Amino acid sequence: MTLTLPGTTPVPRRKSRAARRRAGFDTPLGRAALQALAVIGFFALWEIGVRMGWISAFLVGSPFGIFADGFKMIASGELLSDTWYTLFEAILGFVIGTILGSLVGLALWYSVFVARLVEPFIVAINSVPKIALAPIVVLWFGTGLVSKVMLSVSLTAIVALIAAYQAAKDADVDLQSLLISMGADKHQVFFKAVVPSTLPSIIATFRINIGFGLVGAVVGEFISSQRGLGHLIYTASSLYDLNTVWVGLFTLMIMGFVLYFVIDLIERSSLPWKQSNASHQVQV
Amino acid sequence: MQPSPVQLSVRNVRKSFSSKAGDVRVLDDLSFDINARDFVSIIGPSGCGKTTIFNIIAGLIEPDSGSMQYLGAEIESLRGRVGYMMQKDLLFPWRTVLGNVLLGLETRGVDRHEAEGKAREYLKGFGLAGFENAYPKTLSGGMRQRVALIRTLIMDPDILLLDEPFSALDYQTRLYLEGVLKDAVETYHKTVILVTHDIDEAVALSKRVVVLSGRPARVKIVHDIDIAAHSPIAARSDSRFSGYFHALCAELDIQTEKTA
Repeated sequence: MTLTLPGTTPVPRRKSRAARRRAGFDTPLGRAALQALAVIGFFALWEIGVRMGWISAFLVGSPFGIFADGFKMIASGELLSDTWYTLFEAILGFVIGTILGSLVGLALWYSVFVARLVEPFIVAINSVPKIALAPIVVLWFGTGLVSKVMLSVSLTAIVALIAAYQAAKDADVDLQSLLISMGADKHQVFFKAVVPSTLPSIIATFRINIGFGLVGAVVGEFISSQRGLGHLIYTASSLYDLNTVWVGLFTLMIMGFVLYFVIDLIERSSLPWKQSNASHQVQV
Repeated sequence: MQPSPVQLSVRNVRKSFSSKAGDVRVLDDLSFDINARDFVSIIGPSGCGKTTIFNIIAGLIEPDSGSMQYLGAEIESLRGRVGYMMQKDLLFPWRTVLGNVLLGLETRGVDRHEAEGKAREYLKGFGLAGFENAYPKTLSGGMRQRVALIRTLIMDPDILLLDEPFSALDYQTRLYLEGVLKDAVETYHKTVILVTHDIDEAVALSKRVVVLSGRPARVKIVHDIDIAAHSPIAARSDSRFSGYFHALCAELDIQTEKTA
């Protein structure tokens, strides 16, 4: 599968002979090889640096140490259980927050009066760094799963709310007028015109929100928890066990990566009517 | 030709919009009658409020004053009973061709199965069989506008309001769709009000042409078009076509001189 980000397609231009030869790497396989090379080189340099004593293994850990630690933690099942825990919190927070936020944002379409009334409050809530709520959330919802989910919800809901509300406001007035001329009532206009036209915007927030879901879960675990990758990282770093910290971080990275692709898949399959367009854009 | 009864009568309608520069009077004491099975074109300088008339008839905006009668009875608007078609095809991009055609019937709460059967029949009749599950994005402009026409006709509206429906299309497609429209109107016995800036199109399609003056809009003159051609293309080669065409041009020209 080739992923071409918009804007990264090279502008066709006359190339010199040398440049054309270099472009031999610009294939999926060539790019993968270069990327793998960069990763291997990075870790090799790191390991060599530690072995030669250029950098302190105590402060940065070492690739082989990370590998050994990771292997041990996988074998004991500890890593998997922590990963599941954090993943579960993040996804639960993401799903609840996104649904809740989207519903409220969409509902604001119904009353311009209410929407105008609450708009400054939404802005105010949005301007609070939600992470600052973490200690209170733990105080209110305990040190278990609920407090992490609530923190994720507080992060994701507001993003979804603002996106859904904005998209509902921007929904094509002509489509709504057409429905009204057909005799549609407000509910029909809402469900047939407004909601579908907000879906692309709401789905676009998934990418941001899945990240925020993870942030909420991990920060919640930092504050107070007995399980999860955040807890793992936090306790390991207070013991100066850098290799374990890296295991946690890399696991989070992989998790985020996988989630991103899952979201990408959801986005592609949920809006088939947008599909045909995408193939044109790559050609431009 | 026997005289048809008056179907829709618009009486003394006024409408002004407030803007930063003050109130703009768009319609000033506008009155006209539409007969049953009429095909009336409304032409006039751009921005003279033709779309506003449609929006009032369709119940999208309320007039400041004035009244409308439908078959003699006083009405607020024809909301839910008109087929409104605009320059933009306004197909819902997330709905398939079939889904778009079904829009009006769904809104009315017609039984899904029955509605679908009817929709497929219409699509077949307009040469769009096989495109039921295509999304609007994949269709050409002419096909999209044909889908919009079907969506309008399938609701069996009392009056079709066509607001420059073909002006965004190329000339060949426009000629073709004019023919499709004329056939459909005759098959389904519809009354049509067509807003256009295309005098040629107005003469080729209509039984009557209403010329509006510039803002605020008033009926300047009504021309009866007496061309008995079957198709808009045949109408264009009728001996009286150019006479009507020039007469209408003259009406509009005088206005541009006055307002300029």
